[in-house]
Amino acid sequence: MGRKGLKTKDKHIKNLAKIVGDRSILHHKEDLLAYDCDGFTIHKYLPKAVVFPKDTQEVARLVNYCSDNGLPFLARGAGTGLSGGAIPVNGEVVISLVKMKKLLSVDYENRRAVVEPGFVNLKLTNSISDKGYYYAPDPSSQYCCTIGGNVAENAGGAHCLKYGVTTNHILGLEVVLPNGEIIEIGNNGVPDAPGYDLLGLITGSEGTLGIVTKITVRILKNPEAKQTVLAYFNDVSDGSHAVSDIISAGIVPAALEMMDKTAIEGVEAAAFPVGHPRDIEALLLIEVDGISAGIDEQISQILDVCKNRNVREVKVAQDEAERARWWANRKTGFGAMGAISPDYLVQDGVIPRSRLPEVLNRINQISEESGLRIANIFHAGDGNLHPLVLFDARIPGQTELAIAAGSACLQACADVGGTITGEHGVGIEKREEMRFVFTDEEIQAQTDIREVFNPGNLLNAGKLFPSPGRCAEVKKEIKEAAL
Amino acid sequence: MLETVSLSDLTSILPQEQIMVEEENDHPLGNGGYITVFPETEEEIQVILKYAGDHDKKITIQGRGTKRGYGGQNEKADILLSLSKYKGIVEHTVGNMTITVKAGTPFHELQTYLAEHQQRVSLDPAWPEQATIGGIIGSNESGPKRLGYGSSRDVVIGLRMVYPDGSIIRSGGKVVKNVAGYDMNKLFIGSMGTLAVMSEVVLKLRPLAKYESLVLLSFPEGNLEAVRLFATTLLESMMEPVTLELLTPALSERLTGQRVYTMAISFEDVKSAVHYQEEFVKSISPAQVQMDILPQEKAKAFWDQFYILRPNGALPSTDTETVATVKIGVTNLDVVHVLKESELLQDSHNLVIQGHGGLGHGLCQVTLKGASDNILSAITHLRQVVEQLNGYLIVTHLPYVLRQQVSVWGKPPSYFYLLEGIKTKVDPKRILNDKRYVGGI
Repeated sequence: MGRKGLKTKDKHIKNLAKIVGDRSILHHKEDLLAYDCDGFTIHKYLPKAVVFPKDTQEVARLVNYCSDNGLPFLARGAGTGLSGGAIPVNGEVVISLVKMKKLLSVDYENRRAVVEPGFVNLKLTNSISDKGYYYAPDPSSQYCCTIGGNVAENAGGAHCLKYGVTTNHILGLEVVLPNGEIIEIGNNGVPDAPGYDLLGLITGSEGTLGIVTKITVRILKNPEAKQTVLAYFNDVSDGSHAVSDIISAGIVPAALEMMDKTAIEGVEAAAFPVGHPRDIEALLLIEVDGISAGIDEQISQILDVCKNRNVREVKVAQDEAERARWWANRKTGFGAMGAISPDYLVQDGVIPRSRLPEVLNRINQISEESGLRIANIFHAGDGNLHPLVLFDARIPGQTELAIAAGSACLQACADVGGTITGEHGVGIEKREEMRFVFTDEEIQAQTDIREVFNPGNLLNAGKLFPSPGRCAEVKKEIKEAAL
Repeated sequence: MLETVSLSDLTSILPQEQIMVEEENDHPLGNGGYITVFPETEEEIQVILKYAGDHDKKITIQGRGTKRGYGGQNEKADILLSLSKYKGIVEHTVGNMTITVKAGTPFHELQTYLAEHQQRVSLDPAWPEQATIGGIIGSNESGPKRLGYGSSRDVVIGLRMVYPDGSIIRSGGKVVKNVAGYDMNKLFIGSMGTLAVMSEVVLKLRPLAKYESLVLLSFPEGNLEAVRLFATTLLESMMEPVTLELLTPALSERLTGQRVYTMAISFEDVKSAVHYQEEFVKSISPAQVQMDILPQEKAKAFWDQFYILRPNGALPSTDTETVATVKIGVTNLDVVHVLKESELLQDSHNLVIQGHGGLGHGLCQVTLKGASDNILSAITHLRQVVEQLNGYLIVTHLPYVLRQQVSVWGKPPSYFYLLEGIKTKVDPKRILNDKRYVGGI
């Protein structure tokens, strides 16, 4: 962290250091480079400084200082966000919450746990699994992403088909407001406290309404039984139809994931291959959990559905080790694209499930038109697509082309009544695409709410909403470049 | 009668048959209007709101009036906007398991339609035949099955709201996963109509349960420690009860004929899984407990009865005595304590009190019947008990006159200025449901 002695003439750096201590601040350019972007690496901006508060009081004092002195600031967790929500586009003071990483309490009787924002997602499940409990939201980055970041982004994951996303599991929050005030909402898990649902509003607000410093989450008892099925299809549309048929059969799978041929090529070339055949067009990874006495019936129904949809091969995981291999292969899918392409861009559109075949066709078309390969790894059960646009940033123009192709994929989702992001957030990446789904009045209705919490707009400004100045022509230009 | 709204103004924007001048005496539950309007289209809702905005008029919003006694410090607004004629299904794609429906649609009508497609909305409100989906969401009402399926905030994926200035603002969308922009749905759920008029609702659906049963466990009177121990054992297990609702003896008597504390435990799954869980309950039940299993139709019949026990603001009161209902939120297992306190109030306050609460979610509903003074004093007492448990009490049904004498919502939170700020941004002229919500918002 910070070096010995501050060696700076900047009075703000000095004053911020007084709050957190000299060793808990970074301000030299070479140290700041690690904070110039998050998981969205296309745009980079240097922060003014990075501070590492150890508790809520320090966060509040930092916020107070920034707000009194007109310094833009933002909060950051592990920096795994995929839409640029933690990128300091205005040279912000970055308030890193990684030192606030304690599991504060677990109340098994009432099924809740209290964590600090820097606590890593998977650590929670690991800390309570011996008692048979787990924390449901499971973004692919769960081994390193923080629960504070999950709250900001309203993170999802493979198992939210049955169990819901982060917002469905947050029971209470302690928040430092942009004016430095500390508030407690949600009453530690007593539901429906009187007043507008600020808990629901702040969750997923991408760090623009306040800084979350303590989180009460719901924990769940492990399901009694769990079965995982892997199905290979020669035809993408057979796979898509199988997805709909499973849901129509009245089954609520815990997870229902799909990968197409390009994605399979990637995961098989990367660190966790499982030996998927290379000549299939699609695979489904299906998990059912619940009461043991009911699982076999559901599995046999799923196998029937797959057979009716011309499945080439379908198998049930024989043990936990096999199941874990299949999931590791899936969960590291994005990074695996690095094995077959120098760069890739992940998109995050959502569509009504019934439109899956036509949207996959449209994404194919976009790939052909742009000349870039697009792999699809996605949460098929809830219609959450992740087109991965493969490109080479060293080739001039390809980055822009990839951005435009990604945007075109989102337009395709919006065109069928879907949305532009299911779990990654808008950040800076999809600001303009907000216009695909919302009118100016609707965007204004949202910024009106931001103004109540964050009137000076010093906290994480420039995120989530399209800048009023960026007009249609710019977008058109980008699009034309893609075609 | 004070004519606050010119009838001719309204007839110029709405057909005559959609306007009614209230001629009856003042409604005992308040929340009325000098003139009632029945819009049938979204455009009509828009013009009514614009009219109110232009002429500084106040509007009370109503579905079918089941929650008329819930909050509100006004006997009458200028206009009572009834959504009872604004109903019907807008869009339902079976394979997507989502539905778009107009806010005035009665809940039961919606469920009956969905059942034809083996689907349902996983909420279980009181008075389903009259309660509208808009009212249920606007008041964030939930029932015992919340334990298994969550509440409005878990099933609403999109809303189409008419803002006080007449503009249409959509939040969320038609897909089950969506983080584009703020989650504005949450703002309107439970906002008691104080921000905007709900026009259409998009809901996430679930398949109908393949099989269900209800296990009723009656505990010997007074042995609440045994109830608690049983509940913690069941919660510690890997069983998946959809309800874990404790009924007070007085309520239990009405539903089962036995005046003892009763646990109502629902299971909904494939048949083999339901029977397996029934067996499990049997295996952990204390010896002196009586267990009854109601399968399928009998379970449904029990719940049908259960849902119509609470006071209904839309029905003319036949009681000479005062009736009140309160909603109490505490930490899950504290429900046992709250229901016990409620039970004790019967004798100390000379009231008939029926209550129930979910041990897996912490919400109780308690209905009190008797003399007004006794009811007010019992509510005050119960609130003290609940606040010591770090919970809250809201009065969800009480005559208008008595609502002046007791705090319906309790103390506003420390960050009340944020709530007020939101109200002021969205409804600066305070046109909609003025003073209906916490802190007089």
